[in-house]
Amino acid sequence: MKSIKNHLMFILPLVAILLGIQFFLIFERLTNAYEEKLKNSYTILAVSEKELATKDFQAINSNIASSIKVDRKEILKEISAGQKPEDVEEILNSLPNFYNIKLAKYLDATDINKLKKQFIASGKVKKVETFEGSYTSNYKLFKFIKFILNLFIAFMSIVSLFLVIKQMEVWGYIHRERMQVMEIFGAPLMLRSGILFRVAFLDAIISTLIIVGVFSFFSYYGIDVGGIDIVEQNSNLLFLPLDGAILFLSALLMVVISVYSVVTSSKEKDI
Amino acid sequence: MPNVVEAKDLSLSYEKGHTVIEKANFNIRKGEFVFITGPSGSGKSTLLKSMYGSIKPDSGLLKVGELDLNSVTTSKLQELRTHLGIVFQDYKLVNEWTVAKNVALPLMIAGYSMDLQQTQVQRLLKHVKLSDYANRYPFELSGGEQQRVGVARALAKNPMMILADEPTGNLDDYSSNVIWDLLENACVQLQTTVVVVTHKIPMVFSLSYRHLILENKGVYEVH
Repeated sequence: MKSIKNHLMFILPLVAILLGIQFFLIFERLTNAYEEKLKNSYTILAVSEKELATKDFQAINSNIASSIKVDRKEILKEISAGQKPEDVEEILNSLPNFYNIKLAKYLDATDINKLKKQFIASGKVKKVETFEGSYTSNYKLFKFIKFILNLFIAFMSIVSLFLVIKQMEVWGYIHRERMQVMEIFGAPLMLRSGILFRVAFLDAIISTLIIVGVFSFFSYYGIDVGGIDIVEQNSNLLFLPLDGAILFLSALLMVVISVYSVVTSSKEKDI
Repeated sequence: MPNVVEAKDLSLSYEKGHTVIEKANFNIRKGEFVFITGPSGSGKSTLLKSMYGSIKPDSGLLKVGELDLNSVTTSKLQELRTHLGIVFQDYKLVNEWTVAKNVALPLMIAGYSMDLQQTQVQRLLKHVKLSDYANRYPFELSGGEQQRVGVARALAKNPMMILADEPTGNLDDYSSNVIWDLLENACVQLQTTVVVVTHKIPMVFSLSYRHLILENKGVYEVH
């Protein structure tokens, strides 16, 4: 019973830290997915006197992925009802060229503004409409929520780390005398800390399996988070096989640091 | 006989600035049985601990075997300790290990095979008359029995020197005599150097021995 309690006292904070790491990984991926979604649904409208190709726009700013010329006849259809054909022809000839421009990657409001200025400064583009109002407001809210969550994760990890350290002190108390006796009889560090490493290694595996199990389940069966599209549409991003390796390596790193601190803090002079 | 311990102008303190031994000179030769006595706080245990490298000399020379303990590396000290047998007043057995595993500790550290460990442990437990206790735990034994396990552990690897700190300090007369017999046997039969820190030299002791006394921060030989 005492032994189970000792394991749990190490496993629970370790699970909390791994949970924090997993949340961090998920939010990074969701951010990328959200940026990708924003980027794909976002278009800049550019107006120019001369005909321009995609490479002309790319020469002005390398973040341009493509440009599609808007058919001017389609625009005229909307406004030329009841006009004489000669007048329509005249309007058509006097109309500038309109381009829908797609971005290669997500750009924030500052970069969009910079791009707009570059287009105008190039002299090739007469006017640019970036529609950044709706583009950036949702993203800013998303980033703010992400920031708050990262703060929470950091706080949770620090508290858990203190619990791990506390448990290490308990372990240190339990194993100190044995390690000191072994040291006096000439046992090297690895032999002295062998039992601790085995126990902590087992706990690291259990903690990793708990997190891997929970997030694999959510990833496979999906998750209901009250209609938050970005999460529900990307439930596959809740767990990737690489996460398992990252979590296990993180748990292992914490185990090594914790055990090493216990072993080195046991001074044989106390004996 | 060659020196096993050599001390020249040796100064030791058990805390920073609290010197207990100052400029002491003495040698201990192979196969000798040496008692170290002195009043409480005279530095007996500090001197013994310095011999297994747990306390570093403040100044002077302290050689154990061929090793200068002033400038010893961790790995060399570990190596030296595998050639020493240490007996403590409070036994220092690992309570969660069986008697057999406790005795096997030095063999385990030396990397002996399990078979060899078992054979050696059986022989040692027979020697200290605890053959039937191999699978018991230290807390199931009396003080005298625990100290016999401690002596068996110290003898396990046939050490070049046994360092015993008040080995009979917690024991009754009968158990004390058993421990003295075991240490005498080790000295006579195995030619092991035995250094014992004690308050009182036993009344009945058949072996010839040397007596070092600690007084006024010095180490003196009693003839």
